[in-house]
Amino acid sequence: MNRAAGALLLWAAAGLAQAQAAPEALDWLRKIYLASEKLSYAGTFVYQQGERTETSRITRRADASGGMERLEVLDGPPREVVRTRDEIRCYLPESQTVKVDRRRDQRAFPALLPAQVSGLTEHYSITMDETARIAGFDCQAIVLAPRDELRYGYKLWADVHTGMLLKARAFNHAGETVEQFTFTQLEIGNVARERLRPPAAARSWRVEQSAVAPANLAEAGWNMRADLPGFRKVVEIRRMLRDSQPVGQVVYSDGLAAVSIFIEPIAGRTQAPRLGLATVGAVNVYTREVANHLVTVVGEAPAASVQRMGNRVEFRRPQ
Amino acid sequence: MKSKISALMDSELDARELHEPLSALGEDGDARETWRTYHLISDALRGGAILSANCAPRVAQRLAQEPALIAPLPSAIRPPERARWFVPSALAASVAAFALVGWLALAPQQGAGPAPAPLAQAPQAERAKEPAHLPLTSAAQDYLIAHQAFSPRNSLQGMAPYVRSVSDQSPARKR
Repeated sequence: MNRAAGALLLWAAAGLAQAQAAPEALDWLRKIYLASEKLSYAGTFVYQQGERTETSRITRRADASGGMERLEVLDGPPREVVRTRDEIRCYLPESQTVKVDRRRDQRAFPALLPAQVSGLTEHYSITMDETARIAGFDCQAIVLAPRDELRYGYKLWADVHTGMLLKARAFNHAGETVEQFTFTQLEIGNVARERLRPPAAARSWRVEQSAVAPANLAEAGWNMRADLPGFRKVVEIRRMLRDSQPVGQVVYSDGLAAVSIFIEPIAGRTQAPRLGLATVGAVNVYTREVANHLVTVVGEAPAASVQRMGNRVEFRRPQ
Repeated sequence: MKSKISALMDSELDARELHEPLSALGEDGDARETWRTYHLISDALRGGAILSANCAPRVAQRLAQEPALIAPLPSAIRPPERARWFVPSALAASVAAFALVGWLALAPQQGAGPAPAPLAQAPQAERAKEPAHLPLTSAAQDYLIAHQAFSPRNSLQGMAPYVRSVSDQSPARKR
């Protein structure tokens, strides 16, 4: 009964929030989503976080089987990520490793589908902003301002003709940029299959399979009590990391940002764990020790949110 | 024993001599009574507020209500700056007294069976502002790759956010 009342209240709140969002801005989000699905393109973008900038090339070929996409980091060691509908492969030349993440169950991967865009207004106020020219494209800016301090805000610039995303900025509650992606050059149109070929040298590299399988961490005694408003559990799995023992992973999402909680036994680790907080752009990583396990929270959310989720994790030996 | 407790209060014992009076204070009611009396005398002589009049149970009670922190906060036990005018040995004795009262209050709890570590909540850390950028370890990179696949942002941005997962963290990352 209580739950029903709560759900009703939530629904009413969502309806109210939705009334405040510009429908045009929601249409723009749908347009950006469709562009990322349907377009073939090749371009260069700059990723900026803190004092660092890094240039990468991205190549995407759309086809009937879900398309193929390749990301090449152009600064520093030539790292690459290749994604197909079923698989993600990370090529790391320094360790001569290929990390493979097979995506067996499509449904398990939370995507922001056009139908779910209006649900975002529960946690973000979504509005149209200025028009600007980026890398030669006339762009429309859309702002997703968070309704609380638990999540970051985003400003997106999309090509007015195709909806292709040219620039994306994540900002904190003070309005400061935490990370930014900006295309400096982009060509939309046919991309030859040859341009998506993985590095030939990688054939002799070590392959690490993620071996993802469903899991139930609550049964094993883990209580997440993740009470970050708006973040709902979307996936609970067991996987391999670095060919180690299985690691538990639970993913929460508010529809736009995602937070993962990883749990692994300390015993199996070769390196001494580093506890505390680390940051890369809009991603905060928080590690603490609970009952001889390492709990690591990785999330596209402010440090306080990520820490809050991590600090709520507890272990009780199952009866 | 009384002279040893007095010496302990005045920080006149070295590391090897500490053990005996400390364990006496942990086990022996008379020793604790002596400790309290000496502090009462010392407070009265100094004309300060009477802190020692059986404050131990109240301190213990308050400590029990405090959330356990993951790591001790060194700044929390440092005496305030304005206390510096105190005679150094007296100051040391009073700091030692606080530390010891805390220790005495916690001692019985530590012996109370293999209770799981209390849920460590760090309210102070939670309130912290956005931290400065810290480099990630290579182990954290694995987590980032594993996490990124589940981000709904991929639906808007394609795989550009993966650049974080394979981001060059050198020189900190170099082994």
